[in-house]
Amino acid sequence: MIFLNNLLFCLFSIPLLGSFFLVVVSLKYSKQIGLSITCITFLFSLLLLLFFDKSLGTFQFGTSQIWFLGYTLIFSLGIDGISLFFVLLTTLLVPICLLISWNNITHFLKIYLVLFLILEAMLIGVFCILDLLLFYIFFESVLIPMFLIIGVWGSRERKMRAAFLFFLYTLFGSVSMLISILYIYYQVGTTDYRVLLTFSFSFLEQKFLWFSFFLSFATKVPMVPVHLWLPEAHVEAPTSGSVILAGVLLKLGTYGFLRFSLPLFPEACFYFSPFVYCLAGVSVVYTSFTAIRQTDFKRIIAYTSIAHMNIVVLGIFSFNVIGIEGAILQSLSHGFVASGLFMIIGVVYDRYHTRMVRYYGGLNHVMPIYVVIFLFFTMANIGLPGTSSFIGEFLILTGSFQSNTCVTLIGSTSMIIGGCYSLWLFNRVSYGNLKTQYFISFLDINKLEFLSFLPLIIGICLMGFIPFIFLNYLHMSVNNLIELIYF
Amino acid sequence: MNIKTIFLLSYIIVLPELFLGVCIVYLVFHSLFLGFNRCNNFILIEKPVLFLIKLTILFVCLLLINQNFLGLRILGFSNTFVFDILTNTSKIIIGVTSIIFFFIIEHFVSIPKINYFEYYIIFLFAFLGTFLICTSNDLLIAYLSIELQGLSFYLLASFNKNSSYSVEGGLKYFILGSFSSGLFLYGSSILYGLFGTLNFTDFSELSEDSLGNNIFSPDIFQYPLFLILISLLFKLAIAPFHVWLSDIYEGSPFSSTFFFAVVPKLSIFILFLKVFNYCFLNVFFYLTDVLVIIAVVSIIVGSFGGLEQRKLKSLLAYSSISHMGYILVVFSLPNNEGFQLAFSYLIIYMLSGLCFWFILMLIMVKTVYLKKQNKDLTDLILLHKSNSGLAINLNIILFSIAGFPPLIGFLTKIGLFLAAVEVHYYFISFLSVFCSVISTFYYIRVIKILYFEISVLVGKLYYPIKNQITFLLVLLVYFLIFFFIRPNLLFFISYKISFVL
Repeated sequence: MIFLNNLLFCLFSIPLLGSFFLVVVSLKYSKQIGLSITCITFLFSLLLLLFFDKSLGTFQFGTSQIWFLGYTLIFSLGIDGISLFFVLLTTLLVPICLLISWNNITHFLKIYLVLFLILEAMLIGVFCILDLLLFYIFFESVLIPMFLIIGVWGSRERKMRAAFLFFLYTLFGSVSMLISILYIYYQVGTTDYRVLLTFSFSFLEQKFLWFSFFLSFATKVPMVPVHLWLPEAHVEAPTSGSVILAGVLLKLGTYGFLRFSLPLFPEACFYFSPFVYCLAGVSVVYTSFTAIRQTDFKRIIAYTSIAHMNIVVLGIFSFNVIGIEGAILQSLSHGFVASGLFMIIGVVYDRYHTRMVRYYGGLNHVMPIYVVIFLFFTMANIGLPGTSSFIGEFLILTGSFQSNTCVTLIGSTSMIIGGCYSLWLFNRVSYGNLKTQYFISFLDINKLEFLSFLPLIIGICLMGFIPFIFLNYLHMSVNNLIELIYF
Repeated sequence: MNIKTIFLLSYIIVLPELFLGVCIVYLVFHSLFLGFNRCNNFILIEKPVLFLIKLTILFVCLLLINQNFLGLRILGFSNTFVFDILTNTSKIIIGVTSIIFFFIIEHFVSIPKINYFEYYIIFLFAFLGTFLICTSNDLLIAYLSIELQGLSFYLLASFNKNSSYSVEGGLKYFILGSFSSGLFLYGSSILYGLFGTLNFTDFSELSEDSLGNNIFSPDIFQYPLFLILISLLFKLAIAPFHVWLSDIYEGSPFSSTFFFAVVPKLSIFILFLKVFNYCFLNVFFYLTDVLVIIAVVSIIVGSFGGLEQRKLKSLLAYSSISHMGYILVVFSLPNNEGFQLAFSYLIIYMLSGLCFWFILMLIMVKTVYLKKQNKDLTDLILLHKSNSGLAINLNIILFSIAGFPPLIGFLTKIGLFLAAVEVHYYFISFLSVFCSVISTFYYIRVIKILYFEISVLVGKLYYPIKNQITFLLVLLVYFLIFFFIRPNLLFFISYKISFVL
């Protein structure tokens, strides 16, 4: 029991202690040591999967420690079915990030590794914490390492603008949430999540609080009027930064909706659901069409991920079990697919140092394995049956069809337009004439890159063919959530 | 208790100040006659003198720590001096800050060629004035000690005799400082006319009685109190009276700016507290709205004004304006914990200010024009290449000052917003949060200059840094993280102090 209770705390502290350790060791072995620390964290997180009790919908592996007596803030950790897979996704993606940047990060290697480890600890903290104010603290602290990763290891001069946009957009979004959290603290007297669940706010309060939370989470998702930071940040970030940004950081928004907006302010959720449908529908259609006319490889994927994340939002606001389970699955699947696509871009970017689509063509003649993997991820992006996206999108659209037919129709157009731009992109890069006027030497992907693609491919296939092993973990927690919404 | 014991007790209260005063007089003679350096034509600062100065302050701190009357409040010299936990703790904090300050500047005074012994002696006088402000329990004593502190500062500001900017800065500081002191004196003379006393204890009793019995209307208090308020706001450089700050920061030598940017804020704030929160607590509630408006204006000016600054000292000046605004917001809210939060904010402000100025002292650029005093933001370019550890520390400090989560600056700011929400000042809290985001912009611009400018190939050359200095810096920065992980200690101190009033 003592072991199980301290499991999450250990998981949180391994990367933190590892980052302290990394400062001391010599630069020569720092890469290997950093990778092994993240691998240990991943293996450790698999213990969560092993010991997780599927028949319970409550928080498991709970630990708590008094942090700050002045405001009675308690550092309590615990996970349920909703947050379990987000933690696993984080611990899986961070070693992959370090693998793909194995050869192309040359300057300030140690700071890079330390920042990634701190980022991992903060992300685990965000998904495990059961206190609203501490959630905000972790939510914000993620910004610092990410800001530095974009700014220092980004590729072009424009990266400063991207880093500033990323930082300030998120900060402006989340300050309103801070005021609301303080208001909640003042009203309830604590910010412990489990206590807050038993408290019901008046309708007027709910509306204000919901909206301020929405501003913060919608910036993270991102939804349309506040989405501009994402393409910039993705384009300018290094490949590993894009992977962690698309893979985990965007999920903070949807996780926030699931964890806080829905159970704490259910009436306001219903009240504002037309507004959310409207924004999400507009985002899906607008960003899908915008993706078609981009010339930058990374921008296309960035706009795609906005569309996909907005479909997730549709699923969350369908308020039924199918929709919400679909939303969680689609978030995970997007974590795999979008990260995979960004890594695909990273592979050719490392070789040719350009992201313009017009310079590429006919790669299937010279890089066959690369093109096969690219095809796989493209199909997963479209949502081919047999891949994880299909399960996620299908469940989301089924769920949201029950609550709103019209918006489902709009949302499902993304599958068609998604087919358009994904196939267009794949066609341009892989088929046609080999553009030897731009590139002379060609090199297929090496073992290291293949190794980093492998976990994602396995994950996508596993989720596509046997989704019930994931859904089994979700059922009880989502049922719990639905109960909190309706009763 | 007979007369003799009471008399002795009075001396025990001011023992640290007495000791410091005697030591200063001795140090003047010592450096004039014994610290003479025959190799040079003029009297240079000597290593033993510096050591004696540090030892003096250390002894003063030890005296303060041992000066413990079981947390009682004791008055001496016919109620003109006071001892309680508030004064004692604030004096200890100032003392410790000053020791660290002297450790830092020891290595960096010789480079701009201002290593006369008088420089240190004047610092000690300023230090004495700061102490006396904390101890004073009487408006006249407070005025005199403000003048002692102020006059030393005017001298320190204009100490770089070769630079016309320095002289200009000192003169500006003198004119504005004496003008504001004049307002203080005018206000207190009107109060004397009304009450026939200048003592804080008498004031607090009188104002309670008179308001209860409707002898005086609060309007009578307001006029002199406004004069005192304006004078103190001048000293703290809060928004409508802030214009002098960046000018004087730019003009004066770096080490003296360091001193009057960090240390006197606490002492003036203690005086502010004594006048408004102890003497005229009943009248104070009438002033709340005015103070909140002033504070919010200060926050806005500090955050928007800093956006256009290209020089490090001006940036810090605007940063300090906005921070003093935050402190004033917490302090002036009609709230029980206001003072407690303001005090913890002040401690953290002093700590992070100390760290920041420390690093700016360390960045001495080796250029052709050695006497260049004012540092641009561009002096920090590529610091992470020439000194990576320093850049990381500066990074942590900047995020802490900006009030960013895993650092202590966040917790103190949270306290402010919470206090504002508790009394339903939603607009104020929203505005201050908004401005804190705006001010984040200029802090992260410094980080941008530190880290992101890869296209610039040639960095600056800096003087090497000694080991013990590095150790001290890391220790100070460590506290910024430590206080976040274990915030109980810091808030316990301020909680204990808040019982005094």
